[in-house]
Formats: sequence, structure tokens, C-alpha cells
Amino acid sequence: MNANSWQLFSTFGFFIILLFACGAYCLVVTRNMIRAIIGIELLIKAVTLLIILAGKITGRTSLAQGLVMTIIVIEVVIAATAAGIALWVFRHTDSLDVRSLRSLKG
Amino acid sequence: MPSLMILIPLFGVIILNLVFASNDKMKRAAFWFALALFISQIAVAIFHHPIFWNNSLKPLDSFFKVSFFVDHLSFIMFICIGMVSIASLFVAKYTITEEGGRFKFINLLILASLGMSGIIMVKDIFSLYVFMEITAVSSFLLIAYPKSLESLEGAFKYLILSAVATVLMLSAIGILLLASGGTSFFAIASGIAEARNSSLIVFAIGLFICGLFIKGGLVPFHGWLPDAYTAAPASVSVLLAGVVTKAAGIYTMIRIVTSLFPYNQPVNNVLMLVGTISIFVGAIVAIGQDNFKRMLAYSSISQMGYIILGLGTGTGLGIAGAVFHLFNHSVFKSLLFVNSAAVEKETGTCDMNKLGGISQKMPVTGATSVIAFLSTCGIPPLSGFWSKIIIVIALWQTSHYAYACLAVLASIITLAYFLSMQRRVFFGKLRSGLEGLKEADRGVLAVSIILAAITIGVGVFFPFFFNIFILPVKEILVR
Repeated sequence: MNANSWQLFSTFGFFIILLFACGAYCLVVTRNMIRAIIGIELLIKAVTLLIILAGKITGRTSLAQGLVMTIIVIEVVIAATAAGIALWVFRHTDSLDVRSLRSLKG
Repeated sequence: MPSLMILIPLFGVIILNLVFASNDKMKRAAFWFALALFISQIAVAIFHHPIFWNNSLKPLDSFFKVSFFVDHLSFIMFICIGMVSIASLFVAKYTITEEGGRFKFINLLILASLGMSGIIMVKDIFSLYVFMEITAVSSFLLIAYPKSLESLEGAFKYLILSAVATVLMLSAIGILLLASGGTSFFAIASGIAEARNSSLIVFAIGLFICGLFIKGGLVPFHGWLPDAYTAAPASVSVLLAGVVTKAAGIYTMIRIVTSLFPYNQPVNNVLMLVGTISIFVGAIVAIGQDNFKRMLAYSSISQMGYIILGLGTGTGLGIAGAVFHLFNHSVFKSLLFVNSAAVEKETGTCDMNKLGGISQKMPVTGATSVIAFLSTCGIPPLSGFWSKIIIVIALWQTSHYAYACLAVLASIITLAYFLSMQRRVFFGKLRSGLEGLKEADRGVLAVSIILAAITIGVGVFFPFFFNIFILPVKEILVR
């Protein structure tokens, strides 16, 4: 790694870790299903940024582009599925609180 | 022509939805299409003729930009996937009465099996992630589709934990891309070999293995598994317990650990430790369960521990034992789940306190379940005995005596909870209110009998089966 890419790495690294921390905090603290989905989205965004950075530093930007496009598509599918499940939970319980999901234990 | 294993189901699903979704009579064709698909998948995997597997359809492959490879481990997984999918298909025919719901189920089942076929044929870590997500999303939908609050809860828990696993694995992929400049197994393996002790690589390996532990439901990360298995509809539980967690978690672990990461002592130690903890926690928690399916789910965790323990030895014999146990487990655990589906459908409950003595009314279900649980505990002529003893021998050869003793000891706990299950559900006096009980329908009984026959057959003709199918698996170590 030369000086230029090291600078790139540290700048990007800061924001990747920031996004990651935001997402993880959101996922751990929240009791709302929609916010949990947003937390997951933030985490995936951090990873997407990491892959862009990796592509830039190793000089394989076209590969990284392909990967990022695929990740975005899959992320949308997951978010849509999760939102669908949250919607049905809301129809059952009239709340989005994860504490309403406590029937399975043991 | 390995790409056909992906393309035929994919276009099959599209055609089914474009052409056959119009009326109920046409929808019935979906069942026969899926059945033919899975049977042909098993057939080409059993005979593994090089004409089919080694030739590639150039125009098709270059058009879809796919390239796959198969080896003996993939063949065993193909057989598992086909077999369990057929079992799940028959259970769905029996438990889902509404034609539209069954049609949706079959579509999602084909998509899930497509995803798993992809997982076992890829040679690129990113495609692995893509196929894993296909499998995972179809499983979320399969768990959630009765839309009851319980099934939604199971699906949501699975979704969140699976998304976390995905994030961990993608971070590992990003770091490995940074370190090696590629995503194919070959590029990553050579990149890792160059920078073996870099802390970044060790971090990436840790992240990836954690992600796979979540996907496979091993003990520190098992929170979603019992809920998802219990809440899912009966036919989906068969599929999830039979192959989904194995293809997404355990198979990937075997592939990644042997061909990608340096096969070194720290990784092995972690695998063996997690395996042993899973065996014990799964078995001990299973003793206290009142729900039939939940007990089977914990038993599943415990048996996954054996597979990881065998993998952790790092020798050819250990890996062969792990793969053999994987195959056996997918046979007898799907048999137990098929039986639990029959019990749930006929009596309307899975609570073991409300069941009892139903072996008198459902003799075939009771008898096949005895065979399955004896095989799980490792009673000699049955298949589970051989795979467990191979794992124990491999542990002994690598002088892990404590782990070997613990693995044998855990079999006794397995016997304990299964005897209690058998006693409370099938044996004893018939509980009042269950006098009008009928045996399950013929399709499900045929599936149970065939799976039980495979369990017995593999056990009795063990040398033949082991030499032809399992021992060639060792060659994945040589690469």
C-alpha cells in the first residue's frame, strides 16, 4: 500500500466504521421492527462502501462495480421481504414492537 | 452441463407462473414438474456420469455468464437436496389442502432448491453469497406464508439473524478482496497463502466463520433455529432441518475451511470447541422440551455439532465422517420431521403432554420414528452408528481423546431425550380423545418407509456405500 491509498483507506475506513457502528447500535437498541430493518440496511451500506474501497485500492473497479450492483439488488429483496413480514405483524397486533413477538419460547 | 441444474428450475418456475397459474387444474402440474425435477437431480447425481458433468454447453454458459464445478461432495449434497425436497413435496401435498397455497409452496421450494444447487457448485465466494441469499429469502417466505403470528415471528427472527450473518460474510468478502484482489476461491486461497499471518486476514476468517455459524445454527448463534423450525409449516420444517441449514451453513463451512482458509490449528480448535458445545447444549436443552418439533430442532443443533467436530479434526477420515453424518442426518432428521408432520396433521397438536400411545393408531409412523431415533443415537446396524464411529475414530487418531469421549457420552443424552419423546408420543396408553385417529395418507407413509429403508440400507451395506460415495470426498483435502 502506498501513501496515497493509505490515506484513501483511512478516510474511507473512518466512515465505514461510523456507518457500521450506527447500524449495529440501531439494531441493538431499537424495539421497533422498521428501525431494525433500517439498522440492517445501514450495516449493508457500510459493507458496500468497504467493497468499493477494496475495488479502488486493488485497482479492480469493474469487479467491485459488479459486486456492488448485485449487493444493492439483493439488499432490496431482503428489505422488501422484511417489510412485508412487519406489515403482517402489524395487521395481527396493531403494533410494530418486537416485544409483541414473544409466543415462541423454550 | 452442471449449469442445467440451475437453468432448468429457474425457467421451470418462470414458465409455471406464466402459463400454469391460470386455473386450479393446471396448477396441479406444478407438483409433477417438481417431482420430475428432483428425481432427475438425484439420478444424475447418483450415476455422476462424466458425459453430463464434464461437458459444458458453451453457448448457454457464455450467454448466462455462469461457470460451475462439481466434485464428490457436491454429488452427495445433490442427493440430499433432491431427497429432502421430495419428502417436503409429499408432506405439502398432504398438509396443504388449498390448491393455490400449494402452488406457491412448490414454486418457493423449487427456488430454494435452486439456490442450494448453486451453493454447492460455485467456485467464487461472491456467487456463493448470491445463492445463499436466494435460499435464505425463499426460506423466509416459506416460513412466513401461513401468515399466523407465530410463523411471522419465526420468519422475522430468522431474517434478522440471517441478515447479520450476511453482513459478517460480506465484510469478510470485502476484506479478502482487499487482500487478494479477487473473489474466486483460487485467487483468495493464493492471496491468503501469501499473507498468512496478517491480522486483517485473521479478522476476515473470523468474521466469515461467525457468519457461517449463524447460518448453520450452532450453539452460541442458535437463537433463531428452534423458533424458525417450530413456527414453520410442517413441510417447511422438513426442508429447513433436512437441507437448508446444512447447505447454507455446514456444507459451506466444509468447502471454505478445506479449500480457502489455511487448514490450521486455531481454526480446527475453534471448530471442535463450538462442535462440542453445540452437541451438549443442544442435547441437554432438548430433554426439557414439551413441543415435538422444538425437541427435534434442538436435536438438530446437537447433530450439527457432530458434523463440525468431525470437520475440526482436519484429517481425511474426519471429513469423510462429517460428510457421512451430514448425509445420514438429513435422512433421519427429515424422516422424524415427516413423522411429526403426520402427527401434527392427524391430532392437531405438537404438544407432547397432549399426545400419547398413538403408535396403536399410527403403526407405520411409530415404527419408522423408532428407526430414525435409534439411528440418531448411533445404535449399531443403522447408518447413524457408522458415521458417529468414524468421527470418533478420527478424533482418536488425532489424539483428541477428551473430545472423543465427550462425543460418545453425548449419544447417551441423545438416547435419553428420544426415549422420552417416543414414550410420550408413540408408546404407552392411548390418550383419551384420540380414539378416532387415522394413519397418515399413503404418499407420506411411502416417504417415511423409503427414508427408513435408506437409513437401514446405508447401515447394513455400509462398506459399499462408504467406499463408493463417501471416501472419494477426501480428495477435497489434496487441492
